[in-house]
Amino acid sequence: MPALEDRIRRLMAEETAGLHATPDLGERVVRSARRKRKRGVFAALAATVVVAGAAPAYLTAAAGSGPTPIVTETPPPPAIDDLRPTGRPAEKTLGDLGDGRQFGNVRVGYLPEGLQWKRWSLDHGDSYTTSFDYKGDRNGFYCVQIFVHENAAVLEIDDRVSVHRQEGEGEEVAVGDRSGYAVVQNVGEDGTKGTPTFFLNMGENRRAEIMFSPVYAKDLGSAEAVNRELRKIAEGLTAIRE
Amino acid sequence: MGQRAVSGDTEHDFGAFVAARATTLLRVAYLACGDRSEAEDLLQTALERTYRNWDRVRHHSPEPYVRRVIVNAAISRARRRAILRIIPVRSLPDTPARSADVDLRQVLMDALRALPPRQRAVVVLRYWEDLSEHQTAEVLGCTVGTVKSQSSKAMAKLRMALGEESVEGVIGNARA
Repeated sequence: MPALEDRIRRLMAEETAGLHATPDLGERVVRSARRKRKRGVFAALAATVVVAGAAPAYLTAAAGSGPTPIVTETPPPPAIDDLRPTGRPAEKTLGDLGDGRQFGNVRVGYLPEGLQWKRWSLDHGDSYTTSFDYKGDRNGFYCVQIFVHENAAVLEIDDRVSVHRQEGEGEEVAVGDRSGYAVVQNVGEDGTKGTPTFFLNMGENRRAEIMFSPVYAKDLGSAEAVNRELRKIAEGLTAIRE
Repeated sequence: MGQRAVSGDTEHDFGAFVAARATTLLRVAYLACGDRSEAEDLLQTALERTYRNWDRVRHHSPEPYVRRVIVNAAISRARRRAILRIIPVRSLPDTPARSADVDLRQVLMDALRALPPRQRAVVVLRYWEDLSEHQTAEVLGCTVGTVKSQSSKAMAKLRMALGEESVEGVIGNARA
């Protein structure tokens, strides 16, 4: 008789052999993720699109001069955001930020000693980011990366914090009169201890996400040092315009 | 680069990853939760989370990340349901194992579903994913000692379910 472990493996293999992911899973995931991210902005637009799609039938019925509209199970047309891009858009940056302490609508009041701007940034409108390392090397690994999420992008951040909260990961941290959430995100760094992150609430329409790379967190030596430095950066991060 | 882009045209890479690995991950999800519909939902949820972090996850190994999300989400959901009593916790099957493999599969799945969520996850990670005790502990965020004890208890119950040991022996092991 085979070992129990082998029997379990074989039975599991037989039990799951008939399971196959649907071919459109990837597309559905992307659409769903985008819908959640954009739902604040596109909710009204999506409703408009659906109504617009139905409008000719209703108008015809109301006029009483055409055939009775046929209700079908055809799904509504995809939201505009779901249309596949026809080409890779050029990445927009925030330009030359000098010492990098001021970018977008925020200013970095505190940076740990020895760090400088990496001469790298991305600007996607409602979300933008830049990062800092030891050498100012745009192609090297970051030590500290700061994302700022504004307006519609706030929803996605709040969703992510909500997931961490539900899963019991991280903790609420007050920074002065502002609220924050500290968590170690696992964003693919298997074999390391994850990415220490501080989500800072900078008002109704702005969130900051301050992250330490796992390597930099290790350089700092202890969880206490990581938390202290993250908090100091959060404390020093201020809005320069609303 | 070691930094995450805010967004961008990542659909192609992500789509290729999903096309290549989704079935494998679906099977992990199914074994972790015991229900096909929930497995599909777990997988989609995990992939959405992965997609949000894709520009960083892609530089490492995305599959362990997705697997970690699936397993921990399965545990989390099972615990919430147990607390809310949405689905009554099943008891171990009373019937001894039967000879036909199809029946044994059913017995195994019933026994897996009856395990506490973390024990079920340990079995899936250790004996389906072939992770080491250390790797399993990392995925579950617990100690190696916890993995060992949970695995021992789970295997004792499965052994009983599959008819390899007497009830008395299993109870003794499970309480050890």
